[in-house]
Amino acid sequence: MRRCILFTSLLLATPALAQQTPPNPRASATASAPPQAITVPVPIAPAKPNGKIQNSLVRITATEVEADYRAPWNSGAIQRGIGAGFVIDGNRIMTNAHVVSNSRYLTVEREGDPNKYPASVQFVAHDCDLALLKVNAPNFFKNMTPLTFGGIPELESTVSAYGYPIGGERMSVTAGIVSRIDFQTYTHSAIDQHLAIQISAQINPGNSGGPVMQNGKVVGVAFQGYSGDVAQGVAYMIPTPVIQRFLKDVSDGHYDRYVDLGLSYFRLQNPAQRRYLGLKDDGRGVLVGTVVSASSAAKSVKSGDVLVAIDDHPIGADSFVELQGERVEMPEVVERKFKGDVVKLDLIRDKQPMTVSVQLGTVWPYFLQGHAYDVRPRYVLYAGLLFQPLSLDLLEAYQAADLRLRHYFDYFISEEIFAQHPEVIVLTNILADPINTYLAPYRGSIVDEINDKKVRTLKDLAAILAEPTDRFVVRMIGDGPPLVLDRAAVEAARDRIKTRYNVVAEQNLEDQPVASAPPPPEKKS
Amino acid sequence: MRAILSGVAALLLPFSIYAADSKKAPGPESIIKSKELSLVRVNVTGQGYDFIRPWQKKAPFSKRALGAVLPHGRVLVTADLVANQNYVELERAESGDKTAANVSVVDYEANLAVIEPADKQFLNGLKPLELAMDTVVGDRLAAWQLESTGALVVTEGLVTTIQMTRYPADVGQFLTYRISIPMQYRDNSYTVPLVKNNKLAALLLRFDPRSQVLDAIPAPIIAHFLKEADSQNYRGFPSAGFGFFPTRDPELRRFADEPAKTGGVYVTSVDPDSSAAKAGLQVGDIVTAVGNNQLDENGNYVDPLYGKLEFTNLITARSFAGDTLQLHVLRAGKPMQVNLTLEHRAPQDYVIAPYSFDQPPSYAVVGGLIFEELSRQYLREWGPNWQKEAPQRFVYFDRFQSELFPEGNRRVVIMSQVLPANTTIGYDDYSYLTVQKVNGREIRSLKDLTEALKQPVDGFLKIETAEDPKQLELDAAQVQAEAQELQQTYDLPALQRID
Repeated sequence: MRRCILFTSLLLATPALAQQTPPNPRASATASAPPQAITVPVPIAPAKPNGKIQNSLVRITATEVEADYRAPWNSGAIQRGIGAGFVIDGNRIMTNAHVVSNSRYLTVEREGDPNKYPASVQFVAHDCDLALLKVNAPNFFKNMTPLTFGGIPELESTVSAYGYPIGGERMSVTAGIVSRIDFQTYTHSAIDQHLAIQISAQINPGNSGGPVMQNGKVVGVAFQGYSGDVAQGVAYMIPTPVIQRFLKDVSDGHYDRYVDLGLSYFRLQNPAQRRYLGLKDDGRGVLVGTVVSASSAAKSVKSGDVLVAIDDHPIGADSFVELQGERVEMPEVVERKFKGDVVKLDLIRDKQPMTVSVQLGTVWPYFLQGHAYDVRPRYVLYAGLLFQPLSLDLLEAYQAADLRLRHYFDYFISEEIFAQHPEVIVLTNILADPINTYLAPYRGSIVDEINDKKVRTLKDLAAILAEPTDRFVVRMIGDGPPLVLDRAAVEAARDRIKTRYNVVAEQNLEDQPVASAPPPPEKKS
Repeated sequence: MRAILSGVAALLLPFSIYAADSKKAPGPESIIKSKELSLVRVNVTGQGYDFIRPWQKKAPFSKRALGAVLPHGRVLVTADLVANQNYVELERAESGDKTAANVSVVDYEANLAVIEPADKQFLNGLKPLELAMDTVVGDRLAAWQLESTGALVVTEGLVTTIQMTRYPADVGQFLTYRISIPMQYRDNSYTVPLVKNNKLAALLLRFDPRSQVLDAIPAPIIAHFLKEADSQNYRGFPSAGFGFFPTRDPELRRFADEPAKTGGVYVTSVDPDSSAAKAGLQVGDIVTAVGNNQLDENGNYVDPLYGKLEFTNLITARSFAGDTLQLHVLRAGKPMQVNLTLEHRAPQDYVIAPYSFDQPPSYAVVGGLIFEELSRQYLREWGPNWQKEAPQRFVYFDRFQSELFPEGNRRVVIMSQVLPANTTIGYDDYSYLTVQKVNGREIRSLKDLTEALKQPVDGFLKIETAEDPKQLELDAAQVQAEAQELQQTYDLPALQRID
């Protein structure tokens, strides 16, 4: 469920704290980004020594291939990044998802050992920015100490962060205090919000994936912060409830993602509105705005319902519930659950109390609005026309400002555009050729129908374009004439366009995982 | 509430200081020489309406400009100058004498206005300008400005292009002269006449001092405006009410059964209630000729004066509201004729009005919720970059209004913002919502809304919105009881104004 951000927050956080360096072996990270001597952090002594963290910390070098949405048949740009990780039980290394996403080759190093060890991703959770790595070298974990996890640290208590800020070779330690415990958008996926803890320790690119310790236990994983010109001394770590949930989720051998109720809710603080809805003046209940029809909640919850309790935890009118002595936002109850779990909702509909159970799952229309990793972009190239499904990555790659595209993106869920167009197929680019020389004005438009058949997905489009017909009449959404293609002429131009533009493949219809990424999550029966 | 860039500042922006020596290029003396003055200063004080706080006017502005003296005691200026005016006065440049003046006709779409001095003798001694209708590309025109002493300043420029462009009101295509000219900025260069052989050839529309490119409203548009202005009631420039697309693509032509050698444009949309809709023009028709003018594949006809020019000139400049225009059309390959009876499309004929001047916006403040009808003037409150800055959903409604509201004949009522009060506790963060129903009744105008509000349901006012949170309720009795207090708290002169 998406918490409504009524106050536009300034989440201009630097999306990835992994230090990016060009894949040039001679350019050392410190040389390319000299440390700036601006602020001297006030030293804060940790409450209790954390022990020799060197024995648990690893330095991760990831070679990544970033998908090229503008030429999706290409493999994409190669980049190298450096992040931190730490050993946990079972000879596993925990780090951030963004340290290892899109990676093709991973190596890990440990303090005091001159060797580099190849590693691979065992599990990656892009929705909570966590990953587990394994190392095949049998001796790697020898003499390494697995770290254990603590709970949620107290506000104002001291924590220490370990990692390789700005890419240095030796471990760095910074200390700070716990400033705030709150829900935050995890910028790696850009759509997921989970609990996050704000700390005042200096955290910089290269700290990502490193442990944040208190009293010898891990209380968080450093993962995001603000760029220096937005806010300073504000860094975020992934707290242990999120980490524990991830570890529990993967304990059955695959990661199932976070589950979601698939509805928006609003505070009920207006006395007249409360009376209208038949509520007592007891400060309880939130109003359901939109229920996404593609969610399992749609069967039992309606817009206009008032949710008064979730799993018997009373919901305050300000949308907070009390969970294990802490006041947290209502979704936190769902956050701690897994795919297939059931949540019980007490609600008031037309002034009548009801109780419903919702079996939790993922809500697929949300995925369009988040970043995708470890997959090749999908596309169809036909007659030099590049068709791609709308997504956040696509919009960013083309820096599309088109009003209609933005609307289809922003209102994909709330206006249920997904019901008509589970995929919004955009004519993103045209590889110029005599057969498409007059088609430039169609660039950026959304395909509605071809030969009177509705195009709902990229596969629909590919299937229709494979039909043996004389011509294709492509209707776009909105005013404008159809785009007409003569099939014989297109066929004659195919090889010419492929050769001229060095197009390796004319289409990619599947979310093919890239070579080194983990196998796709299987459906739990 | 938002910080709003003043519309006045926006209008003045293109005239940022230009300071460079300009050597007068040698040219035919007759173009630039004037023995008698035909200019008068125009001073305007006005106040724009605040569409975000619709109960108030913005801070007053003053503009100093020039007017071109026309026959029969009239002065021609741009409509921009007199938009939202409170007081207009004319000032003789050579003596400083002043007199009050009235705006007798204004057309914001063509950006032209006629003002007349209260004192009929005031313009005596000034030489009225005739119109020079024959300007073509390559001609030299002189821009007339005034020194502070009243002396004439003349700058000469070259007409580089004559084409159809959109004027500031963004309604329809109008003939425009593009002139390359090293003109100097002067505090009174708001309306600058461009003159050929001592005749008025054009009036400044916009000027970019950096590239020294000036767009001007040409004499044919001025003549059209003046001819309309002479009639009993001013009807405005006609519009056909259809969208079109070139037919250069041979595949599209084959699809539309259009013979290879024929030109024409593909009709992409027909506005509801427009001349084109009434005449039965259909999407997919190919318009091959307008009257006796054949169109090429881009929609250009051959103008006797300018050569190739977009056919919209035949509608805006060459035709008047009420005229009938014959369109030659290919429908599914069959030639036919569609007779358009041209009409002016007034701003109130749109679902979202393209502009609004000289009249206050309608609004209703209920409990503290501010309701308005969505208009482009409202969106323009976000400044010159409003298309990017204003709430994008509303910009989308405006841009695609004929597609989204094909039935026409309605308004989009919005809940713009909330004034925090006892009645709106908990609603303070809601803004920019589209109102669909009030007390169960469909809302298609602000009048619908005020009518529906008179019928509370079980003592509540229920407002349903297209966006989350989908519903807001107010206590009808409380709204009424606290209305006066709300009015006093926020200094609202009135809780509503419905036109």
